[in-house]
Amino acid sequence: MSEMQSGGEAGDSSPAAPDFADFDDLVESLARWADSGPDWPPARRVRAEWAQVAPRLDRTRRELSRMLVVGVIGGTGTGKSTLVNALAGCEVTTASDVARPTTTTPIVVVATDVDCSWLPIDAMQGRVVRSDSPAVANIVLVDCPDPDTQADEPQAARAHPPRPSDTNRNRDMLATVLPACDVLLLVATAQKYRSWIVAREVQAFAPGRPLLFVQTHASRDPDIRADWRRELESQGFAVPRIFRLDALEAAQRASAGLVPEPGFQELLTAIDVELVGRAARRVRRTGAIDLTAWFVGQSRVHLEPCRDAVTQFAAGVGAERRRLEGILAAAIEGKLQTNRTAWQRLLTDEVVDRWHGGPFAMFLHVVSAIGSFWTRLRPGGGLIGQLLSGHAPEYVAGHGSWQAVEELGLAEADVEQSRSILAGLAGRAKISAPLVGRARLDDTQAGETVGTLLERTGRWLASGIERLVSDRRGRVDGPLLRWTFEGLFTSLIVIVLGRAGWNYFYGHLWQGRPVDGSGFLQESFVWIILWGFLLRWLLFMWVRLGLHRDITALAARLPAARLVDPLIHDFATAADAAQGYLQAGDRLAVDVRSLTVSLDDPASGLGRMRA
Amino acid sequence: MAAVCGGTNTGKSLIANALVGCEISRSVPEAARTRHPVVSLPRGLAERIDLAAVFPGFTPRPWSGEDDALDPTEANLLVWREDAGSDQPQRLVLLDTPDIDGTLRDNWRRAELIRNACDVIVAVLTQQKYNDATVRDFFSAAAAAGKTMIVIFNMVDWPAQRQLLAGWLRTFMLETGAEPAAVYAAPFDRESAAAGRIEFHSLVELTPDGTGVDLRQRLSGCDFERIKLASMEGAFRVVVDPAGGAGTWLNAFEAAAGEWQEARRVLSDESRVRVEMPTAPREIVWNEIWKWLEPRRSGFDLTVSRVYHVAGQGVKWAARRVGLARTEEERREDFAALELAALKRALGDFIDRLDEICRTNPRLAATLGDRLVEADRSSWYADLGRRHAALPIVSNDYRSFARDKLDAFARDNPDMVRWILTGLNVGAVARPAITVGLAMAGAAAVPAAAATAGGLTTLVHHVGDVVVGGAATLAGEGALGLTVAGLKPLIESLFAGWSAERSRVLAETLHDVVFGDQLEEIDRLAGAGSRPEVARARHLLMHCARELPQ
Repeated sequence: MSEMQSGGEAGDSSPAAPDFADFDDLVESLARWADSGPDWPPARRVRAEWAQVAPRLDRTRRELSRMLVVGVIGGTGTGKSTLVNALAGCEVTTASDVARPTTTTPIVVVATDVDCSWLPIDAMQGRVVRSDSPAVANIVLVDCPDPDTQADEPQAARAHPPRPSDTNRNRDMLATVLPACDVLLLVATAQKYRSWIVAREVQAFAPGRPLLFVQTHASRDPDIRADWRRELESQGFAVPRIFRLDALEAAQRASAGLVPEPGFQELLTAIDVELVGRAARRVRRTGAIDLTAWFVGQSRVHLEPCRDAVTQFAAGVGAERRRLEGILAAAIEGKLQTNRTAWQRLLTDEVVDRWHGGPFAMFLHVVSAIGSFWTRLRPGGGLIGQLLSGHAPEYVAGHGSWQAVEELGLAEADVEQSRSILAGLAGRAKISAPLVGRARLDDTQAGETVGTLLERTGRWLASGIERLVSDRRGRVDGPLLRWTFEGLFTSLIVIVLGRAGWNYFYGHLWQGRPVDGSGFLQESFVWIILWGFLLRWLLFMWVRLGLHRDITALAARLPAARLVDPLIHDFATAADAAQGYLQAGDRLAVDVRSLTVSLDDPASGLGRMRA
Repeated sequence: MAAVCGGTNTGKSLIANALVGCEISRSVPEAARTRHPVVSLPRGLAERIDLAAVFPGFTPRPWSGEDDALDPTEANLLVWREDAGSDQPQRLVLLDTPDIDGTLRDNWRRAELIRNACDVIVAVLTQQKYNDATVRDFFSAAAAAGKTMIVIFNMVDWPAQRQLLAGWLRTFMLETGAEPAAVYAAPFDRESAAAGRIEFHSLVELTPDGTGVDLRQRLSGCDFERIKLASMEGAFRVVVDPAGGAGTWLNAFEAAAGEWQEARRVLSDESRVRVEMPTAPREIVWNEIWKWLEPRRSGFDLTVSRVYHVAGQGVKWAARRVGLARTEEERREDFAALELAALKRALGDFIDRLDEICRTNPRLAATLGDRLVEADRSSWYADLGRRHAALPIVSNDYRSFARDKLDAFARDNPDMVRWILTGLNVGAVARPAITVGLAMAGAAAVPAAAATAGGLTTLVHHVGDVVVGGAATLAGEGALGLTVAGLKPLIESLFAGWSAERSRVLAETLHDVVFGDQLEEIDRLAGAGSRPEVARARHLLMHCARELPQ
């Protein structure tokens, strides 16, 4: 047995060409991409498409050098069997004009000494016939049943009484034979080259299978090759050449042992050059790349209608996020701006905590103690009130309530509006459950997302407020300010005490004037307190300076904190997943295209289906 | 009317030309080039008949050249020419048709339209095509419709294949159910065919009447009356055929209407939205009641009331200053925000429910699904917001509604009104408590009360009525007379009416923006099955079926 005849991988043991290694990588990437798709109908279709393509690519890789299986297909009466007989050199299959259809069992023509155990003869429901003809020495030829005599719909769907053709399963049989074929030899006549049914079947099986086109009945019919070429090209085929021959004449000459007529000889030469030996590798490789390109094209067919919708969906997620952030930021800013007393208290506490020991500090302590007694009567409401009063509430994801969010200023209705709009956009992109949830969050989801939102907002607000406070803390930390205020406050006390001491020691003891009544001291006490309040007011004016502007800046930084993300998390994730999937697909399509171009063999005489 | 029909490149045009006696349709080697039917009319017929009516679906166009039929336009053209060969029988109309199996499906459709309009079908069969599925289907339909059929086996290897023709014809007859009136064979002879000479060998042994009449003679000497009757009868049989005729179509029509009814039911059952309207600002309804009471009250009562009013203003001012009360304006703003939120939630709820319904009901998915998916939902919300913002706090509609209600109440319960007025006189001192107590009642509304406010709510029909529900229950009913029969429902309905009117904006948005005219459409489709035309069509069909001989 020659190495070709073994039909095994040993046939060509040279390492895979580097270009084919690239191709393997590409196939790996495509497999990963197809499997990585989200649970999204277009992605599911791509995955199903890949499930069809992957085993074929795999087989191509494993059987790269095995001899090619050529399926002879075409409408009934076009002379498929006659052509097979001509190639086989003797009558291996019945060719006649007595009844249509003639061939009802696939005939597999194999050279006498070739082991064809690898051929799925049973699956093809075929019959193996041996031939010595040199034309089939290095290929396997399959005479396929026709696709155009089987009725389109099953008998049950038709109204008329049973007819002989009801049992015709030729097209179904064709569908079991063609998957085993590597190359298609499409036979047509002047009457059949525009047959719709044949075109449909060829379209279905042509991806990844290079083709040979043959016009038969050359002795009777006019030359329709130019028009056929146009027709084939309009169906998406690349048609380098079409053979024209008379199969009947060729069969007669072959069986008589005569020299083949020129048209038939061309076909024989083409088979020898294009399909045999090392060419088989090239054919399989071309077929595999075409199949890959076709898969990418099909993916595009599935994905393209959703592309705009996905883009709009992603844009919608952004828009709704901004809308919710806008609402939240405005509400938070409003609450922070209007909560004057809380800020006052917070900043007072800061100063009070820092300043000890001096008379002014003591004054502040006393005032704050009294003040805190009053404020405790009116505890601040909501998260912000609590944060400002220094009681950061503990929120845990899973235990949030809408009420707390609404106190922040973000209404459940607003969130629901966003989710409803996004659900609409997602629906347009064919994205639905379980990728995204419904417009209204159920209690568990609400608890979870709202809890996360509150926890994040709490942390973000706490740190934001802390920043505002610490900025101001710096202003009161300096000794200069402190001692200035202490000095100013103390100076009044010193003046009062000095005045009292002067009166007592100089006026009373020295000059003997009577001691002043306590009236002066009471008056002084009032003035000291008023002076204290004035200084306190000045101090806090200084501390508060720029607070309004800083709060606005804080609110403007809210989007960066991604606070509202949990509310539309499912939509954002789904939009990202769909977009990522589409972009990965685009990148792979570019790779496939460049590989197809780089491996294109312009000299090849085989027809191909363009992706 | 005889039409020459067959697959691509089987020589239809050549046969038609040979039968007419001159080239009416260009024959070219390329297949499927005849894109439009060509009709050859006897002299003078063109003025007497309306071709567009005889061949529905086609635009007649006078013949200008052999290439007319090759025009690759989308439109269905019918190229016509009056007897070019000048020996066409007076009553025979002959047509060349496009192919019935090529890659251009438009050609099939045109051939089918011509087939349905003709009485005689000249079936051109060849060795390659006599048993193709598409060819079989085409001629099966012709046979089922009682068309008279003449078979021509073209491109026969004459006489080598002559003995095969009987077998081919048997297969064809078995597969299509056709019973050809005559069978001919045209030998394969490209040269003479191109020259317009085709020899039609009559296959006497396969022809039922056993006569070997020349094809042209047979066509011109046809028994037109009988053929027309057969064709008419066939047409009737197709129409009354219980398996595929107009009856099945009507069944399908009614079934579809039934599905639409179901869809309408599902829509009205499943899509009810409860608008959880917030408690209405009490003064809105109460002001109307006071206004209505005003002319009925005594001077003393009014004076006391005015004093209370002034005192009340002072108290309110003080309360506002310390932040314990909000101004009426602020209260209304708060209320409007809450109300809009409630309406938005209801809208979201509604869309969500609609989505769900569309998932389960294919009919609704077909009509509303696209609308739901394609629409920009943010525009719905924007529309709702706009309508809500434009809503006056108390509309004239509501004023007249409230007055009517109160008048009706006074008419039905004169004693009670007198009692209330007396109570107001006597118990003027106690009135602030009454006001507060009643005001706390808020918009307590039950569906029944909403329904009594029916004059106001435009119930979006089929959408289910927009039911106005109140979260608040009647509170403070003991305050004054609320437990007295008659008064409580009155107050309830006044509040409910107000809320119902407010929530009408939602109904309007749903109707105008979300649904558009789809609801009317669904209603129309659901009602289609019970239209009198359907019953009449059924009756006519039954009548026809009885008249036809079995």
